[in-house]
Amino acid sequence: MNTRQYIYRGFKAALGRSYVRIKGGNREISWLLWEVILPLLMIASVVYTYRSMNAPSEFIGFVILGGAMMSFWFNVLWGMGSTLYWEKEKGNLEVLLASGAPLYGLLLGMALGGMFNTAVRAASVIIIGVYIFEASFNPATLPVAIIIFFLAMAALYSLGLSLASIYLMYSRSGWRASELLSEPIMFISGMYYPLSVFPIALQVVASAFPLAIGLDGIRRSLIYGETFGSLAVHMILLVVMAIILLRIGLWALEYMENKAKKEGRLILRWM
Amino acid sequence: MEKETAIFTRELTRIFERGGEKIRALDNVNIEVPEGIIYGLLGPNGAGKTTLIRILATLLLPSSGFAYVGGYDVVREPDKVRSVINLVSGGERAGYGILTVKENLWFYSQLYGLGIREGWEKIEQLAELLDMKDFLNVRLNRISTGMAQKYSLARGLLNDPDILFLDEPTLGLDVGAARAIRKIIKAWVHQNQNKTILLTTHYMAEAEELCDLISIIHEGRIIATGSPTELKHRVSKEVIYKIEVKNISEEDMGGLKKEEAGIVGLSTSYDAYSNVLSIRLVMDTSDVSHIIRYIEKLNGRIISISKVEPTLEDVFLKLVGVGLSEY
Repeated sequence: MNTRQYIYRGFKAALGRSYVRIKGGNREISWLLWEVILPLLMIASVVYTYRSMNAPSEFIGFVILGGAMMSFWFNVLWGMGSTLYWEKEKGNLEVLLASGAPLYGLLLGMALGGMFNTAVRAASVIIIGVYIFEASFNPATLPVAIIIFFLAMAALYSLGLSLASIYLMYSRSGWRASELLSEPIMFISGMYYPLSVFPIALQVVASAFPLAIGLDGIRRSLIYGETFGSLAVHMILLVVMAIILLRIGLWALEYMENKAKKEGRLILRWM
Repeated sequence: MEKETAIFTRELTRIFERGGEKIRALDNVNIEVPEGIIYGLLGPNGAGKTTLIRILATLLLPSSGFAYVGGYDVVREPDKVRSVINLVSGGERAGYGILTVKENLWFYSQLYGLGIREGWEKIEQLAELLDMKDFLNVRLNRISTGMAQKYSLARGLLNDPDILFLDEPTLGLDVGAARAIRKIIKAWVHQNQNKTILLTTHYMAEAEELCDLISIIHEGRIIATGSPTELKHRVSKEVIYKIEVKNISEEDMGGLKKEEAGIVGLSTSYDAYSNVLSIRLVMDTSDVSHIIRYIEKLNGRIISISKVEPTLEDVFLKLVGVGLSEY
């Protein structure tokens, strides 16, 4: 397969897989309701905690944006990352691989479809959150926030490729990797608080995670009204991360597929 | 390798390791499948059929040896192999239960690189061919086993493959559904002269009905290859008997000293409902008086005894010593 075919087949696979994700994810309306209501409950508990402590009003916006962005991270971590494990369990993986569709395309489709579903839910969470908790955002810097959001998503998707390769090789043991990444990243990314509350050393560590940089950039633009100029470093860092993580992710997928083929892990469910 | 050879393997071996134990699933397998035929791999469960198909479909690497599919090396050119094949396994329902049959098929059409509209059109054509219009809009998790197999076959034909791997395509189907699937397979190959099917099965009658060329595989090794007629010719010198007996168990028949009794192969099957044991004997002599005496000595009551035409089951019996059903 030459590069052009590789990209075309990847695009087709992404189109097909995102279709499945969007169609399947919205077939039952009750799922949508629960996926909006449950994060709102969590956000509400943190908002009321801040209010009881007389925290600054912008903290409400931090919480709402943090809750919404975290849904995207969970989508990468549990949806995209573990997808190859579930495909194997359902007996789909053999068919998917034998189809010749590049794995990166399937995972991209999973990510895009998941991103669409999550975006609908996250937007609902933000709108309802703003209405109920009276959080205020700066609409003038929305374009900057959107650019940072997509750059952060690209970096997270690239990270998801590596995670998916772990599931491809080690199946259920990939769970451990997801669990390992779940809570610490929620903590270090500042889900419910600004990163500035961390000591400098911890802020440096946090800047190694695309979610932390993305979330910080979106908050700065939407809450403090910062523009392109002051957020250029955020954007450059996210672009560099996306490129490096993409290269690592594609390499990891190919390496793990070959290793799995050698050991028989693609076809044997007990492995 | 000649151009018109669809599948070719040389000394193909696959060893699995489990808990320090080495399992030789394939042992120096050599096959050569010409283009445009239905080739059958016939053998009991665990014989190595699925392992071979997975290697040919580029899902598993061989431990040693070579395999070419459509002229491409399965190890070095997996992408090219994948562009000319498709794989359908019996009992599979690959897809997403929440989506309808039609939606699932469209998803796969995109994986195979079909255009958006082309995918929907191809589904309509296949629905016509496979008689599945009635359940195209039913969710995948709500269709019957027979429907699921038609769905899988439709998926397998979406990319119009040059070489189609069918792994136990009628597994678990009732007689009517299995007949329908066999009819579709035959029709597809006859309408597309250059298409090749590699079919694995442990149903002798299915192999005999469908296949132009058959290899019998046992414990990872190919032990015989030929057309159904050629294979059956291998037992032309032997006499095949079918004996039905009451009041005797399968274990009792194990006491027969095969070498002394002139038995080349023996298989039994017990029907608990009628309490009848059916014995199939491949003999190198037409004299079965000592067998009858042996049965009578065990107080068995012979219901019928007849000479029968040889089948592939008898070839397997002669080559392995026991019947397929005993695995």
